[in-house]
Amino acid sequence: MTMKTEKNKETIKKIMVDESKCQGCYNCTFACIAVHENKGKNIYKVDTHNKNFNSRNVITINEDGRPTPMVCRHCDMPECVLTCISGAMTKDEETGIVKHNLKKCASCFMCVMSCPYGVLKPDNKTGKIIIKCDMCEGEDMPACVKSCPTGALYIKEVEKI
Amino acid sequence: MNINVRSGNCDSADKVLQDFISNINYETAHHRIKTQDIKCGFGLQGVCCRLCANGPCRITPNSPKGVCGATPDQMVARNFIRSVAAGSASYIHVLENSLWALKSLGEKQLDIKGIQTLNNLASSLGIEENDTHKKAIILADFLLDDLYKPSFKKMEAINILGYTPRLNNWKALDIMPGGAKSEVFDALVKSSTNLNTDPTNMLLHSLSLGISTGFYGLTLTNLINDIIMGEPRLKISSVGMKTIDPDYINIMVTGHQHALHKGLEDIINSESVKTLSDQLNVKGIRIVGSTCVGQDMQLRAKDLDGVFSGQAGNNFTTEAILATGAIDLVVSEFNCTLPGIEPIAKDLNIKLIATDELAKKESADLLAVTPENAETVAKALVKEAITSYTLRRNKVKINIPENHGSDNALTGVSEGTLKEFLGGNYQPLINLIASGQIKGIVGIVGCSNLVSGGHDVFTVELAKKLIAKDILVLSAGCTSGGLSNVGLTSLEASQLAGPNLRKICEELNIPPVLNFGPCLAIGRLELVAVELAKALDVDLPQLPLIISAPQWLEEQAIADGMYALSLGLPLHVAKPLFITGGPAVTKLVTEDLLNITGGHLIMNEDVDTTVSTFDEIIMAKRYSLGI
Repeated sequence: MTMKTEKNKETIKKIMVDESKCQGCYNCTFACIAVHENKGKNIYKVDTHNKNFNSRNVITINEDGRPTPMVCRHCDMPECVLTCISGAMTKDEETGIVKHNLKKCASCFMCVMSCPYGVLKPDNKTGKIIIKCDMCEGEDMPACVKSCPTGALYIKEVEKI
Repeated sequence: MNINVRSGNCDSADKVLQDFISNINYETAHHRIKTQDIKCGFGLQGVCCRLCANGPCRITPNSPKGVCGATPDQMVARNFIRSVAAGSASYIHVLENSLWALKSLGEKQLDIKGIQTLNNLASSLGIEENDTHKKAIILADFLLDDLYKPSFKKMEAINILGYTPRLNNWKALDIMPGGAKSEVFDALVKSSTNLNTDPTNMLLHSLSLGISTGFYGLTLTNLINDIIMGEPRLKISSVGMKTIDPDYINIMVTGHQHALHKGLEDIINSESVKTLSDQLNVKGIRIVGSTCVGQDMQLRAKDLDGVFSGQAGNNFTTEAILATGAIDLVVSEFNCTLPGIEPIAKDLNIKLIATDELAKKESADLLAVTPENAETVAKALVKEAITSYTLRRNKVKINIPENHGSDNALTGVSEGTLKEFLGGNYQPLINLIASGQIKGIVGIVGCSNLVSGGHDVFTVELAKKLIAKDILVLSAGCTSGGLSNVGLTSLEASQLAGPNLRKICEELNIPPVLNFGPCLAIGRLELVAVELAKALDVDLPQLPLIISAPQWLEEQAIADGMYALSLGLPLHVAKPLFITGGPAVTKLVTEDLLNITGGHLIMNEDVDTTVSTFDEIIMAKRYSLGI
C-alpha cells in the first residue's frame, strides 16, 4: 500500500471517517463480514444472524446521538502494539498497517483494553481470538470504504512518518 | 482525496444504444446506476423491516431478531408477500381495465375484432349467447365477478379453464385463489405489523397470488385484448429506433394496457387526421412502441399498418428514445414509465399525458380513460400530439441513431399463430423435441434491469448460449425488446444456433428466439406449455421447459415468478430475490418446493453455470420422459 507522490514522498493509505455523513446503514459492517468470513466474499452468502460472524468495524452512537462508524485507524503510535505482551500486534512501517499475528497471540486482551477507539474485540464464537482490521489484504480497497454509500468512510493518502 | 468516484454509463448488450447514450447530453438510468452501485446488504437479503415505529430493524449477528421478536425468516416472508401482492395488484388492474373496455365495447355495440377468441373463450366457460355484443358483456361480467369475489369464494374461470393436473395439485395444497383483489388485500393484512408469523403460510399465499396473477392478469388479459384488438398475426418487421420516422408526428406509448389505446389507433386512421396531416405537410401520425404496450401492438402490427411505426425499445431504452427529439407526445398508462423521462421531456418540449390515474406522472397532464370516454380521450390525444408537434419541431434537433435495431425480425408469435404455423397442432414441435433436434425450451421472460452485467447483458448472453446448445428460446416482456434490438429474433440469428436448431430455423424460416411480445405474453407461453403437456399426457413439471426471468426488475416480475413456480416449472433469476436472509424461506423455494408444486427457484448470477444447470435439468426431464 506504499506509493510515491509527485514530490517523490512515500505515502500510505488510511481509512478516514467523516462521521457527519454516516447514516448508520451498517453497510460497512455487512461488507466486512462478507469479505472476512470466507464464503466467496459474496454479500448474499452472509448469514446475517449468525453470531459466529464478526465485523472488524462497528457503528456506535456518539454523544450527540448520531451514528458514528468506528474503524481501526492503524495508529501511528498504536496503543495495541505498545501494550502487546507477546509481540502478536506489530506496526508495518512500510504499509502503515497494524497487523495481528494470531499464532503469537496470548489472548491477554491488553490490546482490547488499550484501544482508544474501542474497536478491538474478541470474537463471538470462542471469545479468544482478537478481531482486527487488516485493510482487506489483497483487495484493491477495504470493503467498508467500497460499500459506504455516503462517503462517511473514505481513503486518504497520507505521508509516511 | 476521496477515491469513491463513479461516473459514465453502464454496459448494454445493445452496443448502438450504449454508444448513443454515452453521447447524449441527458442523464439516464444508465448513468444513475453508476451512482447507485452501492447496495444495502440488509435490503438485498430482505432482512430490513420498517413495519412499525420501533424500526427499521436490521438483522445482524448481534441483533438476530427484530424488536417485536420477528425472526429473519418472518421478516423475509412478510417483505416478500408484500412484493408479490403489489405485483399481483398491478396485473389484476390491467385485466380489470381490459374487461371494462370489453364490456363497454359490447354495450356500445362497437367493432369486436377477435370474434374467434371471444367464441372460444365464451364457449369454454359455458356462456351460450348468439349475439356477439351480448356475449362480450356476459364474458366481461363473468370474469369481473371472479376478480371481485371475497377471498373465501374461489374464482371460477380458473377452475374451468385450468389444466387438470395443475388444478389437482393446487387443490391438494389449498392454494386455489379466491377473488383476485381480495387475495391481494389479505396478503397486505397478513403481512402488516404483528399479524401473521408463519413463513410457510405466507409462501403458500404467495403461490396463490401467483396463480391469480398468471392465469388472470397474464393469460386472460391476452385473450381479452385479442378479442378487443384482434389476434396477433405473424409479420416480418424492423425494430429499434431506426423505425422512428421524423417526418411523422410521433406518439410514444409506455405501459401495459393496449386496450386503453384502441381508440387512439382508430382516430389516427381517420380521414380528418389525414387532412390535417396534409395541411401540416407531415406524412401523418404514428405510434412509436416502447415497453410492453409497444410489444403488444407489435404483435398486432399487421393490422396496424400506417399507425404503428415499430417497437423502438424496452423500459431502459425509453429515455434514449425521447433524447432523439423525434417524439412529440408520450402517452403513458402504466408502469415501466421511468421518472427519468420527465426532465428529458421537459427539456425537449415533449408533451406528457397519463391516461390512467394510477400511473400519473408528476409533469404529465391526466386524461384518464374510462369505459365511457375512450373515444373522446383518443381525439384529445391526437389533438395534443398535433399541437405539440407544431410548437416544438422547429425548435429541437433530431438525432436518431439510424443503425439502431434490426430488420427481418419475426413478430406476432402467439399460442395461436405458432400452432397455425406448425400446421394446426403442436405435433411437429413435439416431434422435434422428441427427436432431440430441439433439446428443450427456455422462456427468457420478464424485464430488463441494469444490474446483471448491465442493460440486457445477462439476457442476451444467456439466449446466445442456449440457442448454441440447440435449446429453443421463447421471449416475453422487456427481454423481447432487448433480444430483438440485438438481432436475435431476426431470421439471420439462425446462424448463431447450434447445428440442429439452425437447420430447423433455416428450413422453417424462423429465428431461434421466438418473440411472443409483452410480459403479459408469459401467459401465452403457459398456453403453449399446456398444449404440449396435453399432447404428451403429462403434467407441466415433466416438460423439458425452464422459465428464466434473468433480469427481473419489479414486483410484477416477482408475482409472475410465483406463477411459474405454482405451475411446477424451474424458475431462474440472476440477481437473487430479496429473500436470502431467511434460510428457511430460501430452502423452501429453492429445494422443498420441488416436492410441493414440482417447481423450484434457481438464483445464479453467472451465465455459464446457469446454462450448465439448465442443460442438466432439460436432460434429466428428457430422460424421465424417455426421449
